Parts: sequence; C-alpha cells; structure tokens
Amino acid sequence: MSFGLIDILQSLIDGILFGSIYALIGLGFTLIFGAMEKLNMAYAASSIGGAYVGLGLATLFSLPLFLVFLIGPIAAGLISILVYLVSFRLIPSTNHLGSLMASIGALFFIDEVIIHETQGSPLTFPELGIFAEAYFMLGDLGFRGDLIFIMIFGLISMGVIIYLLYYTRLGLATRAVSQQNVAARLCGIPIHTINISTFVLAGILGGFAGCMAAASVGVISPLLTIPITIKGLIAAVIGGLGSIRGAIIAGLMIGGVENFFLLVRGVNERDIYVFLLLFVFLVLRPNGLFGNEINRD
Amino acid sequence: MLKIKNIGKNFGGVKAVDDLSFNVDKGEIVGLIGPNGSGKSTTINLICGVFPVDFGNISVNEQNISSLPTHERVASGISRTFQNIRLFKDLSVWQNIWVALQQDSDQSSGWMREWFGNSKLQKEKIKEILVFSGLGDRFDDLAGNLSFGEQRRLELARAIASKPKLILLDEPAAGMNSDEVADLRQRILDLKKLGLTVLLVEHVMELVMNVVDRIVVLNFGKKIAEGSPENIQNNKDVQKAYLGGA
Repeated sequence: MSFGLIDILQSLIDGILFGSIYALIGLGFTLIFGAMEKLNMAYAASSIGGAYVGLGLATLFSLPLFLVFLIGPIAAGLISILVYLVSFRLIPSTNHLGSLMASIGALFFIDEVIIHETQGSPLTFPELGIFAEAYFMLGDLGFRGDLIFIMIFGLISMGVIIYLLYYTRLGLATRAVSQQNVAARLCGIPIHTINISTFVLAGILGGFAGCMAAASVGVISPLLTIPITIKGLIAAVIGGLGSIRGAIIAGLMIGGVENFFLLVRGVNERDIYVFLLLFVFLVLRPNGLFGNEINRD
Repeated sequence: MLKIKNIGKNFGGVKAVDDLSFNVDKGEIVGLIGPNGSGKSTTINLICGVFPVDFGNISVNEQNISSLPTHERVASGISRTFQNIRLFKDLSVWQNIWVALQQDSDQSSGWMREWFGNSKLQKEKIKEILVFSGLGDRFDDLAGNLSFGEQRRLELARAIASKPKLILLDEPAAGMNSDEVADLRQRILDLKKLGLTVLLVEHVMELVMNVVDRIVVLNFGKKIAEGSPENIQNNKDVQKAYLGGA
C-alpha cells in the first residue's frame, strides 16, 4: 500500500469532519455527566432511535424527507425523557451503579425494539439536500459539505450550551445541582426538572447527530449504536468528563485518528488505535484534556 | 410557626429521632442543643426534607409539609445553612445568590423569565443581600476563593435570598474564634429584626446562651428539657446528659 502526503491530509480532513458526530455524542454524555455525575449509556441508542422515529414518521405520512432532520432530534429528546424516568428517576440517586446498569439495559432495549420493527435489516436514509451535494476543493484536498455542516452545527451547539450553562439562571442552577445537590434543592431548585431539561437538550443534539451519522453513510441500522456509543464515550472521557469544549475537541480528534489509521493500517485495525489513544489518556492524563479534579463532599 | 409533632426517624434500627415534639413561634430564636449524636442535625434534615420522616408531622404556618419535596418546602418559607459549608464553589458570589433568589410572588413572571431572564434586573437585589451580609466587596469573586468566615456569611446570605420565614442554622459558629462568634450573634439578631424566625443548632454555648429566647435539649433523639437559657443551665437532666452517665 502506498500513499502520499495528500492522502494522509485528506484522510485526516475526512476523519475530523466525521468526528463531529462523535463530538456531538460526546457532548451529550458530558452534559449529562456534568449535571448528574452519572453516565447515560443509552444516550447514543436514543439518538439513533430518534433518527429511526423521524424516518418512520416521514415515510408513514409521506412527509418531505428533510423533515426527518427535524422530527428525529425531537423524538430523540422524548426518548431521552423516558430513559431518564426509567433509568435515573426511579433509581435512588446514591446508587451510581444502578443507574449505569439500568441505562445499559435501556440501550439494549432501544436496540431490540429497532431490530424487531425493521426485521433487522438496514434502511436507506435520506441525504441532507444541498449539503450532501456540496463538495469543496481546496487545491488537491476535498471537503464534504454535509460533514462541514455537522461540524458547524456542533460548534454552534457548543457555543449555545456554554452560554446556557454560564449566563442563564437555568444553567447556573444545573451547575449548582451538580456541585451541591442538597444545597441546590434547599435553594428551591426543582432538581428533577433541571435534570430532565439536560436530558432533553442532550437528546436533541444526539438525535441530530444520529440523523447526520445515518445520512452521511446513506443507511441507518441498529449496528450504528454501539460504535457511536463507544466513540462518543471515549470523546467525553478524553475531553475530560463534564468539559464541553473537551468533548468537542476530543470528538474531532478521535475522528481524525480513526481515519488516519484506517488509511495506514486498514479497517481491521482502525479501532485498536482509537482504544490505544484512550489508554494513553487514561494513563497520562486521567482527567482528560480539560477535566477538573472532581471535588465534592 | 413551626410545629413538630411526634416525629421519628430510624437509621437501620437506630432511633436517631424518637417521638420528638416542639414548637417554634413566629419571630422567636430557638436553640436546639444536645451532645454529639443526639439527633440535632437529623431533626434539621427532617424539617427541610433531606430525608422523609418515618412517623409524625411537621407543619409550617398550619401547612403540613411532612411529605413535600425539599424545593417545595423552600417555597413554604424554610431555608437553612449547613454544618459543613455547601456553597456552589465554582459559581461566583453573586451567582450563588441568584440561584437561590426567589421570584416575587406578586410579580407574575413566567418560567421563561425565571430561567432565561436577564441577571441585570436582579443585580440590585443581589447586591443588597450581599451588603447586608457584609460581602458587598466580594460580588464577582468565586465562592470557592472566599475565606472560611466569608463562606459562612455567604451561606447565610444565600439562605436569606430564598425569602424564608423560618431559617435553620446548623452549627454556624463551628470553627469560629470569639470575635467571629460575636459578629455572628449580631447577624442572628439582625435576622430577628427582619422578622425571621430562627432555629439554631449549636455547640458553642457562648453563642446559644446569649442569643436565643428558648432552648430545646435533645439526648438520644428524645427531648429531655425545654425552657429559657437560665432554666436549662440549671437543669439536672441536661447537666447529666452533657457530663455523661445519662
């Protein structure tokens, strides 16, 4: 196998752009962790689930296909509420392992529902109109329009979330809940409402990422769930759990690393290097790129 | 104001609070004292709903609050500080107050304005509370960067921000020197002047005896005495409980 500098650059560009999807999913993991100090393992599954609901409703009612990208995120937000109620609200908040296991259960439940409803076969997923056709050339390097769109969406989401968390009372209340749960309740903050709002916001972002992941490859399949869960989670951990910009940067980085090793070492070895990256971070920088040491009594 | 009727709480068979009843009248400062492990903090936690009572009733202004979630008890006029300081350390001083600040009930502001509204409109009010609490010059600092004494004052300020009628102080003098205790005493009296009712859990007798109107003494989760500071100081049961052998 021979490849030049251009090939390497091109694969990095494609990878980083595709990494926007990991970044958005990582952002969702990190948001929920930041609010509750818990992992919602069903997060990527509800994102893909939302994309399925969007596709299903659009097909059922013969809606214009671009509406999939609107219905999908909303549906993912609603599925997230269900996941919150079942896996977090009903389980005592002191039982960290309980919520983790329950959310893994929710992940497989959502996956199974999808497999049963679709007889296990992948469905064709619409492309996002003009964005899918757009392809920019810069010298010898090409940039996919749909992926640039996701990346810009991811960066805007990051900005909006940082604004919400640092400049609105809702965001400050969310941070207060994660810093001092009991004291926050005693400030009159309805913690379950706050947690649900975080789940809905994360769910909408994830639903969009799910739609875009499916659109970028042209098919949707329950097989998408696990890789996106794992890479989103790795993005959240490498970025530093709870760090918003960390999740975005790490997501893009993982996309780049993944695609680089796809070029250099082939598809069979690609994921080994992603896990190796995680390993290096866990050993050398266990709090991630921007993670704070967790201090909470 | 606050009526506690036959409340009980067990932790794994241990009766932390056992058939406890007492009242706190409007505008009163009541001290809740007792040896370590006598159930004082548990009582406070039960009043503000950190965990539910196993038996009995707690009411504020004739409203039974025993089964309300904590944030709704705040709406009924309860507020508190903590024995081990629980500030939002990564938020600035004014943001700690903003989070706790309750909307004026006469002002029908919707949830949109409550959660997404502009902080500028409320900065005056926040400033006022901070100046009252002696933190006027610490407005923009991070709560985690305040000194120990300032953190205690900020906790008190945050407790006031939720517009309580009844404020529960859980060992506010812990770790303070006598100058700071004197300052704290004045602040508690200021609360009374504002018309607030205070329930004070405290070990520092120098503070308790000089600020409260009435004292309730607990031992092993039960009330063993109640009365004026003078009466309590001369009470044989209380002396026995503190000196051991009870």
